[in-house]
Amino acid sequence: MEFEAVIGLEIHVELNCATKLFCDCPNRPGDEPNLNTCPTCLWFPGAMPRTSREAVQKASLLCLGLGAELQPVSAFDQKVYYYPDLPKGYQLSQAHLPLARGGGMDIIDEEGRPKSLRIHHIHMEEDVAKLVHEMEGRTPISLVDFNRAGSPLVEIVTEPDFRSPHDAMEFLKALRTQVRYVGSSECSMENGTMRVDANISVRPKGTNLMNTKVEVKNMNSVRHVGDAIAFEISRQSACAQSGEAIVLHTRLWDPDKKVTVAMRAKFEGPCVPDPSVPSIVLTPQAIEQMRAQLPEMPAARAQRLVTEHGLSGEEAVYLSTDPDVAGYFEALTGHGVLPRTAMHWLTTQLIPAVRERRQELAKTKVTPARFAALLQMLARDEINANAAREVLSHLFDSDETPESIVGAKGYKQVSDPGALDKLIDKVLAEQQAAVADLKSGQGKAMGFLIGQVMQASNSKANPKMIRDLMAKKLA
Amino acid sequence: MDSVFFYRNPNPDASGNGPLGHLSIATQPNISIAGWPAEAGSHALAGYTALEDASVAARLRKKGANLCGATRMSEFGFGLKNSLAAQAVQKGDANAELVLDLAGECRLAALHEGLCGYKPSYGLVSRYGLIGLIPSMEACGIIARDCKTIRDILEAVAGPDEYDFSVPEDAPVSFSTQGIDPEKISLGVIEEARSALSDEDRVIFDARTQTLKKAGFTIKTLPFPDFSLFSLVHRIVGSVEASSCLGRYDSVRYGKRVPGAKNWNEMYLQSRGAAFGPLLKSYLFQGAYFQFEQFSGYEDACRIRARLLSEMEQLTTQADFLILPAVNSASIHAPNTTESLDDTYAKVFHTAFTNVTGQPAFYLPFEGNKGVQLAGPRLSDARLLALGEHIQNMQQRGQ
Ligand SMILES: [Zn+2]
Repeated sequence: MEFEAVIGLEIHVELNCATKLFCDCPNRPGDEPNLNTCPTCLWFPGAMPRTSREAVQKASLLCLGLGAELQPVSAFDQKVYYYPDLPKGYQLSQAHLPLARGGGMDIIDEEGRPKSLRIHHIHMEEDVAKLVHEMEGRTPISLVDFNRAGSPLVEIVTEPDFRSPHDAMEFLKALRTQVRYVGSSECSMENGTMRVDANISVRPKGTNLMNTKVEVKNMNSVRHVGDAIAFEISRQSACAQSGEAIVLHTRLWDPDKKVTVAMRAKFEGPCVPDPSVPSIVLTPQAIEQMRAQLPEMPAARAQRLVTEHGLSGEEAVYLSTDPDVAGYFEALTGHGVLPRTAMHWLTTQLIPAVRERRQELAKTKVTPARFAALLQMLARDEINANAAREVLSHLFDSDETPESIVGAKGYKQVSDPGALDKLIDKVLAEQQAAVADLKSGQGKAMGFLIGQVMQASNSKANPKMIRDLMAKKLA
Repeated sequence: MDSVFFYRNPNPDASGNGPLGHLSIATQPNISIAGWPAEAGSHALAGYTALEDASVAARLRKKGANLCGATRMSEFGFGLKNSLAAQAVQKGDANAELVLDLAGECRLAALHEGLCGYKPSYGLVSRYGLIGLIPSMEACGIIARDCKTIRDILEAVAGPDEYDFSVPEDAPVSFSTQGIDPEKISLGVIEEARSALSDEDRVIFDARTQTLKKAGFTIKTLPFPDFSLFSLVHRIVGSVEASSCLGRYDSVRYGKRVPGAKNWNEMYLQSRGAAFGPLLKSYLFQGAYFQFEQFSGYEDACRIRARLLSEMEQLTTQADFLILPAVNSASIHAPNTTESLDDTYAKVFHTAFTNVTGQPAFYLPFEGNKGVQLAGPRLSDARLLALGEHIQNMQQRGQ
């Protein structure tokens, strides 16, 4: 029998707010343990949650960015469960009245056809503390770090529209792009700002059965999500083949062994409305105001890059996927760099260089202004491409302008015909064999000769002028 | 005999400055005051010292009041078992006392000592720093000898609070003296509350309404057939909220930790088992039952609550204020030692409805503990207290 998978995702996204969801503590989970805490996020007696406006704003923008419909009233509930990472015994989460409903992402499926994957709802909730397991001598101990307790999260719950690992991975990539665009989160699975749980069941292909699902957690990259789903589909299909019943449970993905392993479930109870947290009321006007704050989204931006800058559709989509990249590109053209030059140097030189240095495009020392100044010198033939690449690497380490680096390090291109003439004559005299090759019609000898002149100039010569001058001499 | 005080402020605040400078105010140890023990009458909080001032405490101090100490209280303020609330005021150790009113505790403690006991409108007074049990029902109540003192204190503590977002930002607070003209005021008697009294109590209650009628007030009889559902709804919703709320007392960072547990799960279970007294435990068991086994029962109770709320709003348009008995006297004479949930709810039969609806209410003494309960629409606190002052002045003139 052939089986098909029915997959739904639950995606937690940590909002990049300055403070936690219900107190003014900095939202910096990575700081020294338990540094960012107060009576409210430690849940001391008498403390009361105070919902952050910024979190509601960023969560709402995220919902709009995913095409979901913001609800006029949403409210927090106490979601009861007992675990040491949640010392107050309940998590504040919107269980009954979520912030938004509906929405979704369009992807291209494995056969190349467009496919819509729907979102069921999006709700806000607070993160819990982090448990760190260590050994104290021979005794295993667990330490609790409250820096993350109360961090603002949204949970995106999809419809079970997914049928393959491909669907899930494409959805996550598209979602990540949208969320980065609205600026609500970095959405990095590697850094834990996006966490994905997958609910997977299998059924005989062509039926409408909704079989018992298994939840899989602990994937920390989009690829792992795909791998874990693929493993789980084949595991469950094998179970179904052999008639083994699937029971509702949770499994953890083991990225080293590439298998899922059953885990012990946390005890989870129902949800009671929390009267201490006022409902979030969004008037139609407030929702419209929020919508007006939405930035230009990737699809629209790509379209504009094509019409305004003459990029190809593929190039435009590539740039638009990351708002930082698209923003950098537009900043370069804003400084007068030609779109083609900007596209080429950004994608082939700057981005790899930034990545190699483990930096971020938005935060690197090589600002669009500095990089544009460098590319302008290239355009004015003041330096050649080799020198530009060298100067670029210096820009990462110093605050000096490209002009002063070029001056100080002697990268200025030699474009003086007299100086170049001497170099060319010297090379032509030394390389008789190559000259003969060229004259007998072997075109690639020209490249060799230009290279020799470049070398003789310590890479500072203007290669275009060498070619012109040499062509004249040999004509 | 134990002292009334669980804790006395060793450094009394300098008095004389500010509008409340003449007042010495007692609290209970479920109202946080920085540096004071705040055990809320429970082993679950044994050894816990408050880190910050509750907003009510901070506001009272700002107006010059002297916070003199915290009195002995029932576990988490639920019911009056082991509570010595109102005695400090009775004995003259304090001019007023703050007592959380979860189902009528503040009003009934006042009744025991023949004092005024006031429960403000829900959302009028910040709950920040109050170690509560039933967040959707409880309010910080005030006990004093007279309504004027209550009004001064309420004026100082009422209003929006940047630390408690559940207090509406635009809550109207004006406590300027209001003239009361009995000829223009109607008092509604809820027939079902009156008829639940014993014959003896009913005679006394009717005498009170007669006195007020003679003083010029219009007395109206108003039907509320489902009045008895208020205490039932309170019991179900309250127990579920309590069960959720007390989840945080895990004995890890404060409270008594039972030794010898093999793992954290066992430690939680054993410590929580040892932390709470029998009354609260039965309340928590009941709440957990509705939470985990009978959630639809809880949801029904919430729906009934919404219906009762709108029926009460309707009723309060038919009279300016409500006048009710405060308690069935047979219930308060039940022995205090083995108080059960049934006993507790029998005592608050006449008071719990205002905790369900959030409207203001207070106990006004007549011949000590033979007084009445007055209630008004939500946020009618200033007028309700003006009514109380008017009646107290009447009593003083011997009318
Ligand atoms: Zn905090």
